[in-house]
Amino acid sequence: MNLDDALQTFIIEARELLEHMEEALLRIEQTPDDPDTLNAIFRAAHTIKGSAGIFGIDHIVSFTHVAESVLDKVRGAELRINSELVALFLSVCDHLGVLIGHVAEGRTPNPDVHQASSELADKLQAYLGPLSHCEAMAGPPVEHAGKAEPVAAEAVSGGVDSDNWHISLRFDRDVLKNGMDPLAFIRYLTTFGSVVHLVTLVDGVPALSEIDPEACYLGFEISYRSDANKAAIEGAFEFVRDDATIHILPPHSRISDYLRLIADLPKEELPLGEILVRCGTLTRAELDYARRQQAAAAEQPSPPIGEVLVENRLVRANVVAAALDKQKQVKEHKAAEGSLIRVNAEKLDEHINLIGELIIASAGTDLIARCANIPDLSEAAARLSRLVEEVRDSALTLRMVQIGATFNKFQRVVHDMSTELQKDIRLEISGAETELDKTVVERIGDPLTHLVRNSLDHGIEAAEVRVACGKPAQGTIRLNAYHDSGSIVIEVADDGGGLDKQRILNKAIERGLVTAEQSLSDDEIQNLIFEPGFSTAEQVSNLSGRGVGMDVVRRNITALRGSVDIESVAGIGTTMRIRLPLTLAIIDGFLVGVASSSFVVPLDTVVECIELSASEILAAQGRDQLDLRGELLPFIRLKELFDIAEPLPMANDPDDEECAADVRLPYGAPKTGVTLTAEGIAALSADPELAFILNPVMRENVVVVQYAGHRVGLVVESLMGEFQTVIRPLGEVFTGIEGISGFTILGSGHVALILDVPGLVRRVVVRDQQRYVAKVPGAAERGGRMPSMIE
Amino acid sequence: MAKNIMIVDDSASLRQVVSITLKGAGYDVIEACDGRDALGKLDGRKLHLIISDVNMPNMDGISFVKAAKGLPAYKFTPIIMLTTEAGENRKLEGQSAGAKAWVVKPFQPAQMLTAVSKLVLP
Repeated sequence: MNLDDALQTFIIEARELLEHMEEALLRIEQTPDDPDTLNAIFRAAHTIKGSAGIFGIDHIVSFTHVAESVLDKVRGAELRINSELVALFLSVCDHLGVLIGHVAEGRTPNPDVHQASSELADKLQAYLGPLSHCEAMAGPPVEHAGKAEPVAAEAVSGGVDSDNWHISLRFDRDVLKNGMDPLAFIRYLTTFGSVVHLVTLVDGVPALSEIDPEACYLGFEISYRSDANKAAIEGAFEFVRDDATIHILPPHSRISDYLRLIADLPKEELPLGEILVRCGTLTRAELDYARRQQAAAAEQPSPPIGEVLVENRLVRANVVAAALDKQKQVKEHKAAEGSLIRVNAEKLDEHINLIGELIIASAGTDLIARCANIPDLSEAAARLSRLVEEVRDSALTLRMVQIGATFNKFQRVVHDMSTELQKDIRLEISGAETELDKTVVERIGDPLTHLVRNSLDHGIEAAEVRVACGKPAQGTIRLNAYHDSGSIVIEVADDGGGLDKQRILNKAIERGLVTAEQSLSDDEIQNLIFEPGFSTAEQVSNLSGRGVGMDVVRRNITALRGSVDIESVAGIGTTMRIRLPLTLAIIDGFLVGVASSSFVVPLDTVVECIELSASEILAAQGRDQLDLRGELLPFIRLKELFDIAEPLPMANDPDDEECAADVRLPYGAPKTGVTLTAEGIAALSADPELAFILNPVMRENVVVVQYAGHRVGLVVESLMGEFQTVIRPLGEVFTGIEGISGFTILGSGHVALILDVPGLVRRVVVRDQQRYVAKVPGAAERGGRMPSMIE
Repeated sequence: MAKNIMIVDDSASLRQVVSITLKGAGYDVIEACDGRDALGKLDGRKLHLIISDVNMPNMDGISFVKAAKGLPAYKFTPIIMLTTEAGENRKLEGQSAGAKAWVVKPFQPAQMLTAVSKLVLP
């Protein structure tokens, strides 16, 4: 018998001892106070240690030594045996089996085995001293006999690394009886990742007397590092899904991935759960579970699936919120597409045109009804007018679309541009549901793009500058839309450095837009950026300043009968405010008369109307400014501006002639030679509007209009009040005419010209400017005044 | 110490493939051709896993699982049932008999190995 034979004997002996030990361990839970059983366990460890010592197998000796020490404490009643300890010793037993196995095969154990040894030793050590050890479970699992031997661990304070998955396992009592070994699943996890921390929860373990040895009372909290996706990790628990409660929470780094994936999902209407499954944060099985939970919920109506998911810790709340947002977005998209009828825009335009005609016709009918003085007819006409107004309103809403779609396009612009500029900028959108005319929405895109690009490029400072100013490194651009008294306001706001007024001024002087001597208000300086040929970008960047300046932005907006103004605070940010009419087709107008001509002033530009007294008329003669409550109000005489001739000399019976000539009733009443009946005259006289037309008194009224912060008075002869104005574009022949933006047809059949208030205001501002800069050559050409305005 | 796995199926070729796959992965494999044969081989030997077909002559898989679960030595032995897509009812029956893990036929050897390793690593 040689040493090898002896070694073989040791191996056989050791294995026998381990078998006894295992057997005794399983028995001791039932009879914890039986000294024989305890001794058998102790003896086994002791003997193995001794024999291993003879053969010089040091790693077995040192490992067994710790186990023996713990057992000695138990024997000395210093430590009470419990299920945790039994479980630990079963692991020890298994591990010794592995070590002996290596000896039998004549191999030296690899580092993994050593690590397993030291881990188990650490756990044993925990019973010896007051030390509390964190336990890491990595590397190869311990040898195991196919029974329930979950690893017990001291609770680890749960500092979960953000790059790790968090797996929470709660096994059902029956899991072992079903042939499922909790440890097997954890081991399987190590085949495609590593268990960074594992905390065994023993809260569920009952008192020893009540313990069912065949039941599993354990739960595990695992911090797990793996590149695998959630479905793969969940797959590890495929067979135990029914016997355990499993929560798999992704690492923080994954959450942003999920959010991105959700945003990138196609615009397809999906249930919330499906969205979450598609982005990978939720697995199909988890969803099924949540649905069952939802159905089983006692409350009525059953809670939303999102709540159930978050409550059950299946998905993080912010991911659910993102999915809900996506869902809402898709639904809105669908609603816009699916539940509505697509109509050719041309048909719609035609329809609106017809409505316009209807309004004119209705106004005509109204006038006739009032002239005819037949109560039934008046009533019918009034009913008709009311209905026409309703039809008009509903027709106009047909053209209304939400601005949200336009706004959302900027997400991409901001994303791409901020990457290009290497700035961290986010876009906030509000008021996306605000509706405005489709044409306006289509045409506002370009100016808006320019404004957003300007904000991105020039508005938001570089991150270092922002941080130095005490602002968050991430810049914000806000797009907002809202209704404001008959018009819609679109704001492009940034929290950047604000406009550099000095730089604007310098540039404007350099470009000859203003002189150094001029003293300009802040508003005026800011508005200089809208002047043609103005660009402050010292270095023309790739993104803005491509020759398309802010002047084009303003022109585009003005073409939509809108305005743009700037509000900028140095260091706080800039807000560009675009004000647009709700619709382009029909406006509320204010009808005024000059001699026999009628003009419509868009009502939203009218601030007030004042009547000039005889003395004021006299005082204003030969001037173009008047004193309005202590403020200087520049004014324009429409009569002069448009060179309107005085009415022709009156015929014999001026009153009758007036009526016939001016009313020009559309039902074919002869224009001349016919006098109205006495009743007709009485009816017309009772109507103040007609009275103005019938009886023009030589007096002057001033309609004060406001545009882009400038007030201008329009001197007219008569005020005829509010008027629903259907805007008709001027024919091509008239495109060069300034001061007129369109025409409309009055109820009487007359044509009334619609005044281009922004153009008139600009004209007056330029005229005034010209006086100040008369000495500067070139200013006169820019002014482009109308001949009638040159004094 | 390699883990012992018993494969119970009436198809010799299937047994063979499973056997080669598992042996290749480091398991020891015991073959049985039907439930009755398998039950006869449950002689107290250590088994870490049983893989059983459902439809077999002499004794079907469900009866075999019930019987096996009744034996104290195999009470905690995990069992993988082999089933076909259509056998949903049989699956439930098998689950109540105590076989919680399932592999759907036909399967690739690698699938079988994955399922096995979820329960018992070599």
